[in-house]
Amino acid sequence: MLLLAAGPAPAQGPTAWNRLAPPRADTSVAAPLPPPSAPAVVRRPAAARLRELRGQHDLQYVEVREEPAQASFWQRLLRWLWRQLTPAMSSQGGKKAWDVFFYGLMAAALVFAVLKLLQVDITRAFGRAPRGLPLAYEVGQENIHELNFGEAIAQAEAAGNRRLALRLGYLQLLKQLTDRDFISWQPDKTNQTYLRELAASYPAGRLAFAELTRQFDYSWYGELPLSADLYQQARAAQQQLAQQLAAAAPGRAQPA
Amino acid sequence: MEPETHLPDPASPTPPLAPEAAAMPAAATSDVPAEAFAPRTDLAQLTARTQAVREQIGQVIVGQQDLLELLLTALLADGHVLLEGVPGVAKTLTAKLLARTLDVPFSRLQFTPDLMPADVLGTSIFRPAQGDFEFRPGPIFASVVLIDEINRAPAKTQSALFEVMEERTVTQDGTTHHMTTPFVVLATQNPIEQEGTYRLPEAQLDRFLFKLNVGYPTLAEEIQILQGHHSGFGGTPLEKVKAVLSASDLAALRQQVGRQRVEANVLEYIAKIVGHTRAHKALYLGASPRASIALLNGAKALAALRGRDFVTPEDVQFLAAPVLRHRIMLTPEREMEGGTADEVVRAIVQSVEVPR
Repeated sequence: MLLLAAGPAPAQGPTAWNRLAPPRADTSVAAPLPPPSAPAVVRRPAAARLRELRGQHDLQYVEVREEPAQASFWQRLLRWLWRQLTPAMSSQGGKKAWDVFFYGLMAAALVFAVLKLLQVDITRAFGRAPRGLPLAYEVGQENIHELNFGEAIAQAEAAGNRRLALRLGYLQLLKQLTDRDFISWQPDKTNQTYLRELAASYPAGRLAFAELTRQFDYSWYGELPLSADLYQQARAAQQQLAQQLAAAAPGRAQPA
Repeated sequence: MEPETHLPDPASPTPPLAPEAAAMPAAATSDVPAEAFAPRTDLAQLTARTQAVREQIGQVIVGQQDLLELLLTALLADGHVLLEGVPGVAKTLTAKLLARTLDVPFSRLQFTPDLMPADVLGTSIFRPAQGDFEFRPGPIFASVVLIDEINRAPAKTQSALFEVMEERTVTQDGTTHHMTTPFVVLATQNPIEQEGTYRLPEAQLDRFLFKLNVGYPTLAEEIQILQGHHSGFGGTPLEKVKAVLSASDLAALRQQVGRQRVEANVLEYIAKIVGHTRAHKALYLGASPRASIALLNGAKALAALRGRDFVTPEDVQFLAAPVLRHRIMLTPEREMEGGTADEVVRAIVQSVEVPR
């Protein structure tokens, strides 16, 4: 503005003032202003030139983001929310609400951390079962307490499936041992675990049960084919122990 | 050896099959001839050879019977073993002794933080006279490789073992070098809480058949150790331990183990136990199918060691913790609660019904 008011500096050619001044070696000193008596010339750029300059992208210092023509529902919703919240947040009441929300969030995080450290499962308070992916198969498929052993063994014998019949006979023994409280039945226990339990609760039956367990292991897990004679002998041994157990006084099973 | 690390449930421990159950004469209780229910495969050679190994190692090591049985199981199952325990519980000594009983090339690597993959695998050296490169095999080229303190090397060096442990080959400069048979890695490590150690990558842990926790000896065993040192200052020298098993013997025993019978329900039992690790809420990472195969192979070898030609659920339960404990990852919540992998494995085994 000052330059415009002062008028253009002479582009070339000596002025009267310049002519009077002696030549100087130091050219870094600014030339003196023209005398104040000179009339100020106000330069006005041409309107067409101004419009041209305004239209140039390089001279646009404020970038205006154009909204996409096809904004999604989510974008429009966010924009609307922002427009609603901005005035509220800038007000005194809005600032207070923001403070309350922030401190509330901090308090909730603290409570959550304390509950976690104390190992409190808060999901149960809302009646939700603990997490865990469902398994694609059944864990327990057979309950020895619901089987009709006499009938099942007879069917297996009739079908010539001696291996299955011997297995059912062994399971019947386990049920009898459980019913008489010589062992404590649990689906995850192995035959050797029951053998140790029986050794503690009914030592007299330990050797016989150990041998029957061995026979069952070889026949069932070892897939040993059983001849008719061998099956009859093994089955007789099972029945012999069953009779012995029936005559024995009830035990008090203790986990091995 | 801590007994609980190998037993699925302290409330119902499952030690090896009672000897009387395996060898008791049937005539004691019934008219069934004993030979009628006997292995259909001749396991006498296997029993004799493995017993000889036990006796040789037993000259020096006091106790640690479970550890020894599991090491032999891994040897028969063609698997690598990671031994973890605090310093001074004979991890390295046991591994060295096992290696001495085998008449095969043995090498030992002490892992350090500055060890490079080429220091383990080998490197190619330029031969000016021939104008070509020659591969110089590293110490990994042996039949039994003892890697002491494996977790002292960073992941870069440990990852050099991935290929050789799984595929038994080393690829250098585009050439694949095959390892000799047998090839067994016995690695030791201190617990991760110790100073100056790195956690092994999961991919490498998965390549170990077993992770065995070596615990302190019992009071009686420690007294026996002290008596040995007091009378002979050091007990039996290592040199007295002889090689009693050759590579060809071991190959024959492994073939026998491969022929072990596994009933379909027992296979399903293994699959269920491993499957439960993938659905358990306390686990961030479950075990892979490689774990199922490891459990199967281990159970077959253990059954053979115990004189049977078939696998029982007892074998599977016994090996569940050594096979699975290093292949699963606890959730951060369970770790914060102080839970352990062994506890979760025990709970999983308890939740699966034994097939019978």
